Amino acid sequence: MASDQELIIQFQAATNREANFTALLKKHQQKVYYQIKRMVTDHADADDIAQLVWIKIWDKLDGFKMESEFSTWLFRIAYNETLNYLQKQKKQVSSPTSGELLDYENASASSDSPKSTEIQIGLDSAISQLPEKQKVVFMLRYYEGFDYEKIASIVGTTIGGAKANYHQAVKKVEVFIKQL
Amino acid sequence: MDMEKDIELNDQAGIGNSLEHDRAWAESFLNKESLSQFNLSTTNTPFNYFESFPDKLLSRIESEKRQKMEQKNTKILFLPSFMQPMNKWAVAAAFIVVLGGSFIFLNNSVSKKIADPIASTRINLQDLSSEELESYVDANEWIAEIDVQAQMQKENTRLSTLNEKQIEEIKKTISE
Repeated sequence: MASDQELIIQFQAATNREANFTALLKKHQQKVYYQIKRMVTDHADADDIAQLVWIKIWDKLDGFKMESEFSTWLFRIAYNETLNYLQKQKKQVSSPTSGELLDYENASASSDSPKSTEIQIGLDSAISQLPEKQKVVFMLRYYEGFDYEKIASIVGTTIGGAKANYHQAVKKVEVFIKQL
Repeated sequence: MDMEKDIELNDQAGIGNSLEHDRAWAESFLNKESLSQFNLSTTNTPFNYFESFPDKLLSRIESEKRQKMEQKNTKILFLPSFMQPMNKWAVAAAFIVVLGGSFIFLNNSVSKKIADPIASTRINLQDLSSEELESYVDANEWIAEIDVQAQMQKENTRLSTLNEKQIEEIKKTISE
């Protein structure tokens, strides 16, 4: 499989642009989508933002100088687009609605005890109430396993700041769950 | 101050030592099973979503590109920015030409209309024979007679309304 750099060089050289872009897209689309969905929770919103992100990538890829990793640049655009989208929609990620609660209950009824369902709902609510930056830092570190240098570049902070955000996110979620 | 405190806490917790350590540290406070359940809920997508996404995206990019091109073409045809001042003058000049032209044209046609009947009825008397003149006078004699009678009747009516004093004054004026 061709590396990101090779695909970008070919794209910029205007040789088979669509094929190279599609290859790049297929390599990264899932992680980008998951990252967005963790911030907005709704699939339709996440899909919409993902499309905006990739359209932006298509428009700006010619000017990408490869001074940073492509994935860092991609996640940074995804993070900014998600923040813009949330601001535009004035839609704060709220605690799960009764319908969503029911979905979780149904989904976990077969395997989990009532206690674990309660903990699950609590965790979802707690994570959704975190400030966006802390939420993203936690997701990128815990689920994606990104290093702090990369996370700091994505959210626009220092390495120390990224570590502090991870620490605060975990502590806030813990406090929130204990209050339930 | 908060930042320093956070960094101190991070050092105590050993955050940043390794990914495994950071995950284990989070799991010591939060339920590991719930964390993986949360991840599952975010990775749920409609059937075939990722397979169809590239085609959907590329067709959207294509249609947006087309829209941009159309907008660009529309601009060139109607409102190119560098042409805007020139356009103003061109419109003004065209307006003046049309207005002036229509004014001259209308004036000419009106004066022609007025002049034409006169021109058409103007007959050079030298071109007419004496027979033609006589037959014209004979044919129109009765009209002249009626005109004279009508005039006389009018004068009589005017005289009948005068009193004696006024008649005397008129006589005096005539004799003088």
